[in-house]
Amino acid sequence: MVSEKRIALKNIGKYNIKSIDEYIGIGGYNSVKKALKLKPLDIINTISDSKLRGRGGAGFPTGMKQQFTNQSAGIQKYIVCNADEGEPGTFKDRIIMEQDPHILIEGMIVAAYAIGASKGYIYVRGEYTDSIQALRIAVEQSYEKGFLGKNILNSGFDLDMEIKLGAGSYLCGEELTLLESLEGKRGYPRIKPPFPAEKGLFGKPTLINNVETFSHIPYIIENGAESYSVLGTEKSPGTKIFTISGDVNKPGFYEVEMGVTLRQLIFDFAGGIKDGKAFKAAVLGGAAGTFVNESVLDTPMGFDTLKEKGAVLGSGAIMVMSDERSIFDMTYSILKFFKHESCGKCVPCRVGTTQLMLMMDDALQNGTNRKDVLNKILRESEYMAKASLCPLGQSPIIPIRSLKQYFEDQF
Amino acid sequence: MSKTVHITIDGKKITTTEGANLLQVAHDHGIQIPSLCYHKKLTPTGACRLCVTKIKGTNGLVMSCTVSVKEGMEVIAFDDELEETRKHTLDYLLAEHNDQYDGTYHDEFRQWVKHYKLDNIENRKYPNISRDLGFKSDDTSPVLTYDATKCIKCFRCIKACDEVQGKNVLSFSDRGITSYIIAGFDRWNESECDGCGECIQLCPTGAIVEKPHRDEIQMDKIEKKVITTCPYCGVGCQIELSVQGGKIVRSEGVEGVLPNDGRLCVKGRFGYDYVNSPERLKTPLIKKNGKFVEASWDEALDLIASEFTKIKEKYGNDALAGYASAKCTNEDNYLFQKFIRTVFGTNNIDYCTRLCHASTVTAMLKSIGDGAGSNSIEDFATTDCLFVTGNNIIETHPVTATYVKNGKYAGQKIIVCDPKWTPLVKYADIWLQPKIGTDIALLNGMIRVIITENLIDKDFIVKRVDRGIEAFEELKALVEKYTPEKTEEITSVPKEKMIAAARMYAKAETAMIATGMGMSQQVTGTNNVYSLINMMLITGQIGKERAGIDPPRGQNNVQGATDVGCSPIVYPGYIPVTNDDNRKRMAALWDVDFEDLSAKPGLTTVEIMHAAYDEKIKGIYIMGENPMVTDPDLNHTEEALKKMDFVVVQDIFHTETTPFADVILPATSFAEKDGTFVNSDRRVLRVRKAVEAPGEAREDWKIIVEIAERMGFKLGNYKNASEIFNEIAQAAPIMAGISYDRIERQGIQWPCPTKDHPGTSTLFLDKFNTPNGKGILNPVEHIPQTEKATKEFPFIMNSGRILYHYHTATMSRRNKALTDFANESYVLMNTGDVVKFGLNDGERVKVSSKQGDLETTLIASDQVAEGELFMPWHYSEARVNRLTRSDLDPFSKIAAFKLTACKVEKV
Repeated sequence: MVSEKRIALKNIGKYNIKSIDEYIGIGGYNSVKKALKLKPLDIINTISDSKLRGRGGAGFPTGMKQQFTNQSAGIQKYIVCNADEGEPGTFKDRIIMEQDPHILIEGMIVAAYAIGASKGYIYVRGEYTDSIQALRIAVEQSYEKGFLGKNILNSGFDLDMEIKLGAGSYLCGEELTLLESLEGKRGYPRIKPPFPAEKGLFGKPTLINNVETFSHIPYIIENGAESYSVLGTEKSPGTKIFTISGDVNKPGFYEVEMGVTLRQLIFDFAGGIKDGKAFKAAVLGGAAGTFVNESVLDTPMGFDTLKEKGAVLGSGAIMVMSDERSIFDMTYSILKFFKHESCGKCVPCRVGTTQLMLMMDDALQNGTNRKDVLNKILRESEYMAKASLCPLGQSPIIPIRSLKQYFEDQF
Repeated sequence: MSKTVHITIDGKKITTTEGANLLQVAHDHGIQIPSLCYHKKLTPTGACRLCVTKIKGTNGLVMSCTVSVKEGMEVIAFDDELEETRKHTLDYLLAEHNDQYDGTYHDEFRQWVKHYKLDNIENRKYPNISRDLGFKSDDTSPVLTYDATKCIKCFRCIKACDEVQGKNVLSFSDRGITSYIIAGFDRWNESECDGCGECIQLCPTGAIVEKPHRDEIQMDKIEKKVITTCPYCGVGCQIELSVQGGKIVRSEGVEGVLPNDGRLCVKGRFGYDYVNSPERLKTPLIKKNGKFVEASWDEALDLIASEFTKIKEKYGNDALAGYASAKCTNEDNYLFQKFIRTVFGTNNIDYCTRLCHASTVTAMLKSIGDGAGSNSIEDFATTDCLFVTGNNIIETHPVTATYVKNGKYAGQKIIVCDPKWTPLVKYADIWLQPKIGTDIALLNGMIRVIITENLIDKDFIVKRVDRGIEAFEELKALVEKYTPEKTEEITSVPKEKMIAAARMYAKAETAMIATGMGMSQQVTGTNNVYSLINMMLITGQIGKERAGIDPPRGQNNVQGATDVGCSPIVYPGYIPVTNDDNRKRMAALWDVDFEDLSAKPGLTTVEIMHAAYDEKIKGIYIMGENPMVTDPDLNHTEEALKKMDFVVVQDIFHTETTPFADVILPATSFAEKDGTFVNSDRRVLRVRKAVEAPGEAREDWKIIVEIAERMGFKLGNYKNASEIFNEIAQAAPIMAGISYDRIERQGIQWPCPTKDHPGTSTLFLDKFNTPNGKGILNPVEHIPQTEKATKEFPFIMNSGRILYHYHTATMSRRNKALTDFANESYVLMNTGDVVKFGLNDGERVKVSSKQGDLETTLIASDQVAEGELFMPWHYSEARVNRLTRSDLDPFSKIAAFKLTACKVEKV
């Protein structure tokens, strides 16, 4: 039986989050002390060598992102933490912010120093009131102790940190939309390129990472790249926080080395299916994730291994469905979510998310053959994926294609 | 310089510049990639997804509107997959769209729908849900209707409002498929929308359409579209008039042509109805026994000829005078001054420029050699610092102001100097609010800061200022006493602000000055502008691109009328009348005896009325002017008009002045004649006939030629306006290289001395137009105003214009769209004063000065300082100039419109 390996969650429960002294007492901010004595490029090399990949869902190499931002010309640079956790079934960032806010700030300070940013923003989901409260206290105390502000630890490095609240839009978790919102504008996606590393917040080079990603950095800096890269699998090194919900006995969060199987997560960690029911499906990665059946239970969890199976790791959300659940209903719920969250900027997503719902309603209300409906929504979502402006309109294809692959008979 | 790159689109080789927008490049090369949300004036949006392409080496489909071209790019614009995708997108749009078309607007969306044969409902795949979305239309604006069921959410209206007009009024409400456009917080009439209609012009469907003539416009019945120049302010916007049933039914901005590149303001877009007003003058009228009776042209012209001849013979040439018109064409005005000089034989010709920028022009002519703006309109967007003084530019030159706002968003610094709040203050870095009439003290204070802090451009002073350092030292000595403290005491501007403004202006890489009526319409008008020029010269903020001084001109052709010689002291092209060689040259061109051209400078506008009052001037020919509103001290003007033996008024409407005429002649509006106007940036722009004149109304220049003939003079054998312009080009060296064929598409900025000269966008790059080519410093002292607030008259009245009306409102108040926005006179008083004087906001009050009184509505407002008042002067029923003084600036003879001691009482 595998056990948890906590890196991002390493301090959970070990200190009173209202006391930075306690945090320092358990080795908090050691990575900052160490990093500020290094050259920024050395930090970037360490992160690159650790092979850390972004934990927001896309899995882009974190070191490479830092390198691009570092290399971008410009005196003013920004560092932004995407804490607008909105993917259904995902609550890993909330756990970190509520129970160990300092690790996030610590990771951000190191990354900011590496890329040369003098201002940081944490864009946190507005509904996360406990996270916001915890972060506010942590930022304030971090200033008091001189980890934020001018001339941090006499290194000559300055960094200011501000907390900004999201206002309930799923789309604002998309990085370019988040930047738009952070600038005080309406949450519409931007045209890409330019990427944030080149022109991000207020048109300046910006490093934007997920909460979990930043929270891996202190460990890597303190323990070296290799201590991290040896964990997990070759292509997906390190650990990942999985948030398991649905029909399981022990729903919750588990930080485990990559390469763990879905079976281990559901049956060992989450205690198996509730009420003695059988496993039917898991939705991996939230709404913009994939449905999988039992044939994927023994696939090692990793960006590439799941991709080979037509599935995604995404944010690490695992929503488990027992054999009593309806795949159609779950699909309906997910597509309704997309329709609700579509910003309306581009035609394929604005109209497409509505068309998908109309087709689902057609099956529900008029008894249209559901397999035909599945084929129709697949066709529409393929077009949407091709023609939409941002990841939202490009997302319905992800669950729908997996439905076609694994659950056509259930539809 | 941009690099040249080579790309291919569907195999077609194209050479273009690196970084150019791919979609635009395709369109420019005749490759019509479908698109709806893209407009070349706007930043790319990527919303409509029609411009999909494939680019070699890039995954997936790429929206060409979001791509900057690079060397070697290989693009596929059309293949089956792309076309299928486009059709799919259009089909989606149709599903949420109400595609009923009423034929009143140009519908880009509909064109593409037809192109993909989706107008046939059988070819559509998706059910129409537009009715289920619960959209309501917004019909609350006076000028437009928004119908969300026709909206394709392309963002063009929002960006038109933000990026082009800089107003930021529009945005989306709601989200996803139920999102729709709102103005301000919701309804259009409750928002800050000022009705410019840029959103209408850029809307690709019928979602935003104009209200005026909506019931009658039918696109397939439009007989012609005529490009001409807007008849309102001096920006000179190029408009395209749609004519249906012999009537103008629509006005749109002409895209891609300066000065406006499609932009218009509410007047330019909705202010054309006066042309078709039933109140137009249609026949000549002769006053008989105190009443006007209709007359034939022959009768009227014969009477005029004999009466003018009589006066000339009895009292001499100088007993006659003429008022030219800033609203008429160059051709009209040129012949008018030729008439006054050769037929009347006097230089008593002037017009209301005397009352607007005469002082500015006087100061500029003397110190830098040209009275016209030194820059081009687009420089207002690119200069680093703009100093706007006494110029409510957003309301009076709304389209120039759009460039200013564009500049602001790109990082330009703006300093506003105005005793009254103007909308530009919202965009300004610094607002200086001096007491009315203390401008020279303020500027001398700023000059002192600039000198003390060594922010001067010494090299410029040495090389380009007359007497260089010596002259500078004189200025330095004069301003020495204007310490920040002293300046604050005189002007009431906090010294910190004044110092910050001085630094901002002087330190800017390039800086421009926009100066308006607030500076010019004072007894110290000329000196005010001298001090501005002093500041400009010592900082070297002229003589380079994007730097200089610009007096935006108030009327459509106020620049041109003087350019073509409607001045008591200069011939066309600013050639002094007092010089014998000049007179000889003009006599030769005009085929008259040199001795017959008067060498005596004529009287100016207000002087003419004074002379009439004194019974020295006995007859006047007034073309398109309305002195009974524009002149200061109207009660005096009225007496003067009554005293004259014979008054001819030639106009398109009865005005406040026509009752004093002996003969009224019906003339043509801008839309009924060919010709040219010159705008504020010296651009000679075509005016083209769009509709027939009403009744027997005649073109002004033809009337002038007729009167001359009946007085025994032949002005020329002109077949058309173009031939008159050719004579202007011979008379005025600044326009020598211009002819109609050269300005067919876009105007040319004078000076343009030869046929192959491209025109001049920035003046004074190499030298000034002064005798020795150098700029002249004219140090001036602040002199306390003689007109002061007293116990009896405790307020100082300021006056000005508002966005919705123009000049004497003869034209603007005959447009429902404009009067729906504003149609009532008011006086602004500081809220503190309202309380102090026991008055109430919104009540009727009597405003009086030593000169006269009027009734209007009181509005409590912090836009004016305590002790000061402001009134718009357009309204006939409350003519501010009943109050004003006819005291004149000694150098330019401009009147002191901006400073009158008044009292305000309950009615």
